[in-house]
Amino acid sequence: MLIDVFTIFREEADASGIVFYYSGILSQNVIKAMGDSLKQKLQQQDEKGVKSRKVFSTFIEMIQNAMHYSPGSHDSDEPKEGSIIVGKKDDKYFIICANLIEKQYETRIREKLDPLLTMSADEIRQAYRAQLKNDQHGNDTISKGAGLGFLTLARDSAEPIEYALRDVIGNENDLSCFYLKATI
Amino acid sequence: MADLYLPATTDTPEIDFKFSSNTLHIAGEAYPENGVEFFLPILRQLQSHLKSISGDPIEFHFKLTYFNSVSTKILYSMFELLNEYAKAHPNSVLLHWYHDEEDDTILGFGLDIQEDFTWIDFNAIATA
Repeated sequence: MLIDVFTIFREEADASGIVFYYSGILSQNVIKAMGDSLKQKLQQQDEKGVKSRKVFSTFIEMIQNAMHYSPGSHDSDEPKEGSIIVGKKDDKYFIICANLIEKQYETRIREKLDPLLTMSADEIRQAYRAQLKNDQHGNDTISKGAGLGFLTLARDSAEPIEYALRDVIGNENDLSCFYLKATI
Repeated sequence: MADLYLPATTDTPEIDFKFSSNTLHIAGEAYPENGVEFFLPILRQLQSHLKSISGDPIEFHFKLTYFNSVSTKILYSMFELLNEYAKAHPNSVLLHWYHDEEDDTILGFGLDIQEDFTWIDFNAIATA
């Protein structure tokens, strides 16, 4: 990339309120370092207490989700990749994460997320409580988490979470790019 | 059983389970890459300790400031174990729940624990 193009990229990001941006290999070490950096950034912006913690929590849930489910996970030698952005607009933070997924999981993601988009805060809270108590989760062979990840994001988001599944140019039949957005 | 001590790291909490005096502390942040791998051996030790005592009072100090969703689920199972012990030996488990007074997430999880595991005596402590 030319310096001029990178200058525009940086200036656009600053003008759009971008606090943090990363795109690349995901590992727990990278995530820990990014988490520390984000915490310091939020402190610099004098963002203490509840808001800062929810931004951090949302960031960790999303990026660990991307690390666990991006296609590299089927072959441990293949590094996992993802992109994440944290920004601030009109006193609200937005966090958007993007990672590749195998096309076959599209339906599963839609089934999990679609109900959350229209639930009230109270309904999300009830669904979260039910999942916390649910000890049948061990039978779910695909999920690597506790089944609480999306519910945690939905619970902490000030506005309904948003998502998109987009074709990956050149890989339309096998892969999709999964975007997930929350607002704090 | 020998006491269990694990120092805090960036993504794992300090675990200070003094089984010899039945005083259990957990503090810090919990978002390890594999929450089950980190917590399961700790839960197993706690479980076998609980089997080896009968009615000895236990004090649990919960001072976590952040835990990811996977850790949340496993912590829930940990309190389930303590609740079973307290059911067999009423008034034996006292849970001190430290939470930032502004942090509704930590307090909210504490209230869930209190509601679901009624044999555990619950003491919420707001910190500034």
